[in-house]
Amino acid sequence: MTSFRTFTELVLDRAAELGTEDAFIFLPDDANGSVPEHLSYAILDQEARRIASWLQANGAEGGQVLLLYPSGTDFIKAFTGCLYAGSVAVPAPLPTEQGQHFTRVSGILRDAEVRAVLTDSASAPEISAWLVSEGFTDVKCLATDTADHGDASAYRVPDLTPEHLAFLQYTSGSTSDPKGVMVSHRNLLANEAAIQNAAGTDGQTRFGGWLPFYHDMGLIGHILHPLYIGGSAVLLSPTSFLRRPHRWLKSIGDYGVTIGGGPNFAYDLCVRRVTDEQLAELDLSTWVSAANGAEPIRRETIEAFTRRFAPAGFKPESFFPCYGMAETTLLVSGTPKDRRPAVRTVDAAALEQGTLTDPVAEGTSRELVSSGVIHDFTVKIVDPDTRRERPEGSVGEIWVKGDSVASGYWKRPLTNVEIFDAHITDGDGGEDTGGWLRTGDLGALEDGELYVTGRLKELIIFSGRNLYPQDVERAVQATDKALGAGAGAVFTVETDRERLVVVQEVRISAVDGDLRSLATAIQSRIGQQLNVPAGNVILVRPGTIRKTTSGKIQRTLMRKLFLQGELTPLYEVLEPAVRGIVADAAGPALAATV
Amino acid sequence: MSVPTTGRTTDELTAWLSDRIALYLKRRPQEIDPSVPLAEYGLDSVAALSLCGDIEEDFDLILEPTVAWDYPTVQALATHLAQSLAEPAAG
Repeated sequence: MTSFRTFTELVLDRAAELGTEDAFIFLPDDANGSVPEHLSYAILDQEARRIASWLQANGAEGGQVLLLYPSGTDFIKAFTGCLYAGSVAVPAPLPTEQGQHFTRVSGILRDAEVRAVLTDSASAPEISAWLVSEGFTDVKCLATDTADHGDASAYRVPDLTPEHLAFLQYTSGSTSDPKGVMVSHRNLLANEAAIQNAAGTDGQTRFGGWLPFYHDMGLIGHILHPLYIGGSAVLLSPTSFLRRPHRWLKSIGDYGVTIGGGPNFAYDLCVRRVTDEQLAELDLSTWVSAANGAEPIRRETIEAFTRRFAPAGFKPESFFPCYGMAETTLLVSGTPKDRRPAVRTVDAAALEQGTLTDPVAEGTSRELVSSGVIHDFTVKIVDPDTRRERPEGSVGEIWVKGDSVASGYWKRPLTNVEIFDAHITDGDGGEDTGGWLRTGDLGALEDGELYVTGRLKELIIFSGRNLYPQDVERAVQATDKALGAGAGAVFTVETDRERLVVVQEVRISAVDGDLRSLATAIQSRIGQQLNVPAGNVILVRPGTIRKTTSGKIQRTLMRKLFLQGELTPLYEVLEPAVRGIVADAAGPALAATV
Repeated sequence: MSVPTTGRTTDELTAWLSDRIALYLKRRPQEIDPSVPLAEYGLDSVAALSLCGDIEEDFDLILEPTVAWDYPTVQALATHLAQSLAEPAAG
């Protein structure tokens, strides 16, 4: 529908057309009775011009610019300023915010080769000191919420092509090895069109959300899509939502929100924490698309939410299960409008063997929620080892091709050949022209629906966040000197939800206190610093963790040994739900002798 | 034991906290031992923020999310909450 060559052209055009209309309404934490902040298209344009002009005057045009902000309109102005300047925005979590740390952002700073850092005046002193401590004395830091920078009248519209990068999305890679997805203007425009096709949005669409702005779904869905369609968004901070989930739902009725969402856990949180009194005040009747993506989608959650919020006007066909990732800019598939999410009940044993089949009378079954249908991409299910295409209804790795698929990770040519330019083989020595993105996710296609069934990589997904096991293992081992470096394995097991399990070797002679205190210290560290519930810790003797001959931790094998009850703990603490799925070590052996 | 200013005793606060924390961690309230560190039950930042939100709703008391780590058991939290509620409201 758009004739724009770049997202910059599009935003300049929207701003000229929509002027004083609201682009964004930000709801601050209402603890102090603060009032909503309205940002019109005209003010956004004016502020973006000032910031762009400063970037152009300071040698950042065409270069990377790190954005470190709390949730709020300052981030939106700065991101738009980067688009206007022809700079490549690099959004990242604000390290001074609770639970965030400089370590990850330092990795991004080094990898992305940033020319400037934009932040707000509250964070600027600490950010400047951090830049000096990291040795980046030539990287300028600007607090964009002050009045004395940039001359809007000096701003020049840059000469950009669709192949220029719009931003780098750093949601991949471990802390020590962050990877920035290169999203071009072409990718971004293509994905915004795909979102529009999937969700049926238009200029009257109003978004409502609370996701972090550096998260792909928060940025591309809740900020850039409203600009793309010339609509608006009502936003609050993640902290505000987590403290009081009903604020998000309340804002839907207050502002006539029509679309918005988050990972599955957000709906679960609403079901558990919204009280009857709060429910009575809600009006969810305008909400036509409740997006559910970025982590496994659960039928139980969808049903519980639909039932709980039906009295507030929530409709079952409003749920919008979807699938996507930063590597495809955002959305790959979504559930058609005005249709309930599709749920496929399959035989669990057959699923483990890689096929979707109807459940059998005696067997256990699993319910898969469809992530919807595919419009703007070609998707194939491919055997990750043989690289041959798998037939309909078979599980394999999800491979994706389309205009929204990024060209690769910043400065990672070797990885990019492997991940972004995979070839499908025909089994007779031939292969296709390539260009496939390997998602690392496992899934199946059936009757046009995409079912995501698991993951090929050891990546852990909690509350929509991607976590690398090696980062968690390192944090565990940093807790105490008695814990061996490189001698732990972290993985998840599935009960009613995914649960983290930490297996860690401990040298008893080096333990000061008791093992229980040591385990609690590990749990506290993971829960507070990595924001992940660590309900399961198994401390084991040195030599228990299996490694390959090249020294790689065998997490999948450790998970299997744990579930079979074959680990001998020195000390363990397990959640009841997890204890329930661990086999009695004697069980299989006894069964075998019967 | 009692906290006359709010009509909430530490025992009542202990029961309230056990109930809330069980909800966040998907446990039964009777599984939560008031003397056991919450980290042992898998407390994380979402649960800590949830707790602050609920304390704010029910007691009109604004706390930092670090409170659940500074007072790491239900017992310690109940005592802290009782003291905070007993103090005259500041500013």
